[in-house]
Amino acid sequence: MSDKQIRFPFRGLWEGMWLTLKTMLKPAPVTMYPQVQEEPVPRARGVIALDVEACTVCMLCARECPDWCIYIEGHKEEQPPSKPGGRPRVRATLDRFDIDYSLCMYCGICVEVCPFDALFWTPEYEYSEPKITNLLHNMDKLTYWLGTVPDQPPLEKS
Amino acid sequence: MTDLAMIHRSESAVSIELQTPDMTLNIGPQHPSTHGVLRLIAKVAGERVTDVEPVIGYMHRGYEKLSEVRTYAQITTLVNRIDWVAGFASEVPFIIGVEKLMGVEAPPRAQYIRMILTELARMASHLVFMSSYPLELGATTPLMYALREREYILELIEEVTGGRFHPNFNRVGGVKPVYGGGSMTKKWSLDLPEGFLQRARDAMDRMEQICDDIDTLVSDNELIKMRTVGIGVIPRDKALEYGLTGPNLRASGVAYDLRKVENLLPYDEIDFDIAVRQGGDCYDRYVLRIEEVRQSSRIVRQAVDQIPSGPLQTKVPRVLKAPRGQVYSRGENPKGEFGYHIVSEGARMPYRLKIRSTSFSNLSILPWILQDALIPDLVAIMGSLDFVLGDVDR
Repeated sequence: MSDKQIRFPFRGLWEGMWLTLKTMLKPAPVTMYPQVQEEPVPRARGVIALDVEACTVCMLCARECPDWCIYIEGHKEEQPPSKPGGRPRVRATLDRFDIDYSLCMYCGICVEVCPFDALFWTPEYEYSEPKITNLLHNMDKLTYWLGTVPDQPPLEKS
Repeated sequence: MTDLAMIHRSESAVSIELQTPDMTLNIGPQHPSTHGVLRLIAKVAGERVTDVEPVIGYMHRGYEKLSEVRTYAQITTLVNRIDWVAGFASEVPFIIGVEKLMGVEAPPRAQYIRMILTELARMASHLVFMSSYPLELGATTPLMYALREREYILELIEEVTGGRFHPNFNRVGGVKPVYGGGSMTKKWSLDLPEGFLQRARDAMDRMEQICDDIDTLVSDNELIKMRTVGIGVIPRDKALEYGLTGPNLRASGVAYDLRKVENLLPYDEIDFDIAVRQGGDCYDRYVLRIEEVRQSSRIVRQAVDQIPSGPLQTKVPRVLKAPRGQVYSRGENPKGEFGYHIVSEGARMPYRLKIRSTSFSNLSILPWILQDALIPDLVAIMGSLDFVLGDVDR
């Protein structure tokens, strides 16, 4: 340290200033967010979307959720037989599918255990609310997000 | 009247205000240099700290108790929140402990993916240190430099796992292989996305560049050296006595790295060195972490080149039940040894989970090392230990 100072006093400071100058002339890697939308990667766990038609009210997601933030209610509906003379079908229909995003840990276990392709991740991120109770999103909102599910990215050759 | 009492009387007769007997100074809980909520009850005599008592627990979330009512798959999402700066690195020892209990082993490709992501998490953690430590010493510029580069690391982690901080990508028997359980999502593989390996190589170029830049900006800076060289020296025997691990121990001259000792991940197929420094002061602890980032980038480069192909997960039963028994598995977190003692009674959930968190053990040296330190050095010493309060309180 001492012999460096003899050669040139505060050399470290000048080198630092030179680096600052070089960085100043480079373009900034910042996305100016409200004006320019950031594009998350396709796998980003932004929010969970629901396909109401595919859901069979099996409650697997609600049971496996680590902090039990999924609320499901449903009822059985009689369907007319598909062929004349056949047996009438019973189909489970969703009444309520709410996810409380103030509790959600974004772990993705519900998406993973769903056996009927009803839950999907989407990289949507603009759903902040001024009140925490408004983060309980219902079926309509979750269905709306289904339209934003991206395609799966191509994979590395292995 | 004895001489001592006479001197005492004469001194107090001169001025009562100048007498500064031990004053109690509360530092924290909300202090920017404490990386969370840590309260220090310091007894100070003038500018000198005579005694320090750390008060922890402001951030206790009870993960050990929560884990007793969660299945093994659900605990993975809890354990990466313990040390959130390097979430992936604290997932790996837990999941390997469960794998040991159940007697399964991850396929080689999954182990390599785990290794790459662990090293990326290590770099992210050290970059946070490289940005926050000069900030605590009063240099605000390196924060921007290091955090800018950390974003490239987090993007790499995100494009594989889907999460920047909380990857939750480890599963018992490998890494998460497919998107979901339905007939369509079962076919969506979660292997590395196209171009990841090349982007990882590019990011490693950036990492080596930022190490040089930070060296120029901070390590060679005279002011930083004045603040850190010879401050907070931990001798080798004290470091061993207090059970320090990780970079704090290696800066005191002990070449102990669990990546070489334990065989959790295939580090034996990779050529890398353990960074060691002899001084044990704040400057050595700081420079050693920059050296570790260079070594990590060496590991990632080699791992990316020789990653084997194959499946991402071995076959495991759908309902995971670990047989009766107990296991202690530990791994090298960016901050040191991170261990899990899992006791299983044969159920879907562990009977007891003991977390040996790194920062908690590293913090235990704080009362010793802060004895007779100056108050301005207190911040420098605490910052150089690099603890995260979420890791201390669990």
